[in-house]
Amino acid sequence: MEFLLQYSRFIIEGFITALTMTIIGVSGGAVLGITTALLDVYGGRVSKVLVGIYVEFFRGSPLIVQLLIFYFSIPAVTGLNWDAYTAGAVTLILNSGAYQKGYFKGAIEAVFKDQLMAAASIGLTFRQTLRYIVLPQALKIVIPAWTNELVSLGLSTSALIIIGVRELTSIAKTIAAQTFRPLEVYFTIAIIYFIWITIMLKIMDIVYRRVRIPGLEVSI
Amino acid sequence: MGEVVLEGRGIKKWYGKLQVLKGIDIKIEKGKTKVIIGPSGSGKSTLLRILGLLEPPTEGNVLFKGRDVYAEKLDLNKIRAKIGFVFQEPSLFRHLTALDNVKLGLRHVLKLSEDEARRKALETLRIVHLEGWKDHYPAQLSGGQQQRVGIARALAMDPEIILFDEPTASLDIELTWEVIDTMRELAERGITMLVVTHEISFAKEVADEIIFMDDGMILEEGPPEKVLMNPKSERARVFLRRLLGV
Ligand SMILES: Nc1ncnc2c1ncn2[C@@H]1O[C@H](COP(=O)(O)OP(=O)(O)OP(=O)(O)O)[C@@H](O)[C@H]1O
Ligand SMILES: [Mg+2]
Repeated sequence: MEFLLQYSRFIIEGFITALTMTIIGVSGGAVLGITTALLDVYGGRVSKVLVGIYVEFFRGSPLIVQLLIFYFSIPAVTGLNWDAYTAGAVTLILNSGAYQKGYFKGAIEAVFKDQLMAAASIGLTFRQTLRYIVLPQALKIVIPAWTNELVSLGLSTSALIIIGVRELTSIAKTIAAQTFRPLEVYFTIAIIYFIWITIMLKIMDIVYRRVRIPGLEVSI
Repeated sequence: MGEVVLEGRGIKKWYGKLQVLKGIDIKIEKGKTKVIIGPSGSGKSTLLRILGLLEPPTEGNVLFKGRDVYAEKLDLNKIRAKIGFVFQEPSLFRHLTALDNVKLGLRHVLKLSEDEARRKALETLRIVHLEGWKDHYPAQLSGGQQQRVGIARALAMDPEIILFDEPTASLDIELTWEVIDTMRELAERGITMLVVTHEISFAKEVADEIIFMDDGMILEEGPPEKVLMNPKSERARVFLRRLLGV
């Protein structure tokens, strides 16, 4: 296995790329997920339909196909010229947002109607109700579901290989080809993914314990 | 006759084809306690939500201190802040402690400073005898304690009136009494109240006036002795006989 040490710099770079793409995808996706969830729950008919189309598209087609569309098809049609990293990041955000919309919608709807009525009864406006009642609860309720998304998106970054982003899997492929030792290389990479995911799960567990509130530990 | 705080005129309400309220006229005067009784499904909760501006009537007017809320297009949130509401189910904000539940409206609706809001919230929790429970979350409180925090949350806003919708309906007997006692104390403090309840001792001893509602209409109204002991309508008589167990 020592031969891998001489490639450690590339492996670390690949890992950092995967991690960065995960963070960008999952945080951009969270903003998009919250926004589309709010539109879906409280918005008018048109916004509900638009959100529905968006979600169906990104949940109903493979990530790899989405990456190809955003890297090859869209530039071809629009003349837009972006590199693989930008196209990859945008696709991950849109993809993750579509899944996160579902989680946030569930969490928002878990904030019971009686509390909304109570909020109105003390004179809170709709915006204040979202800000002080709905979102603080929804953000806590959503953590377990959101953790799954973090893991799933982290692993999905390996799909970025298809558009040539130099992330962990694509680095592994290059090293395997150069050294002719695919068994050790891919096995090592799998272990790196595993350790990474385990650490993320641990961190989210600590976060969840910290922000948990008695009576609110509903997982959905 | 004293100043009328809250008034409903010719209130009618339909849910789709179902007419729930069939023309209700009601006035609550400052400092008075009015109790509404009536069978399940008679429209009591609906009437309270309409008077609390939590939903509009299909027809009719709601007047707050003489001003027609919907006709004059008054700012609903401003007036809701002055009408307290205590719900049948404890409806505390689940992510906030007892203190923060009471404080929220003070901070963000009345815009008091953090210090003032805190002081006022503590003072109000003291009135409902829960100052020792201020840091507990709703899930850590009994149903009765939750209802009393709900009362404190309404009371802290210095409302002109508090509406209670069967606040003890989901509680067992001991807890019912602690909530009823708290309400009795509020009445003694001169708080204006409109209370839906089937706690007859409260109605009898505390109410200035009792209303009997059935099928979306007011069938009886008057002082407790009159409505409870000597109702005119057959329906009220049947209902009361069952309620009083006589
Ligand atoms: N939001 C709603 N949509 C449709 N129907 C409703 C709604 N709210 C109440 N109703 C109906 O209106 C009628 C009156 O209900 P309401 O809750 O006002 O009665 P109530 O007198 O408070 O009864 P209870 O003593 O059981 O609380 C019932 O038939 C109820 O099913
Ligand atoms: Mg009711």
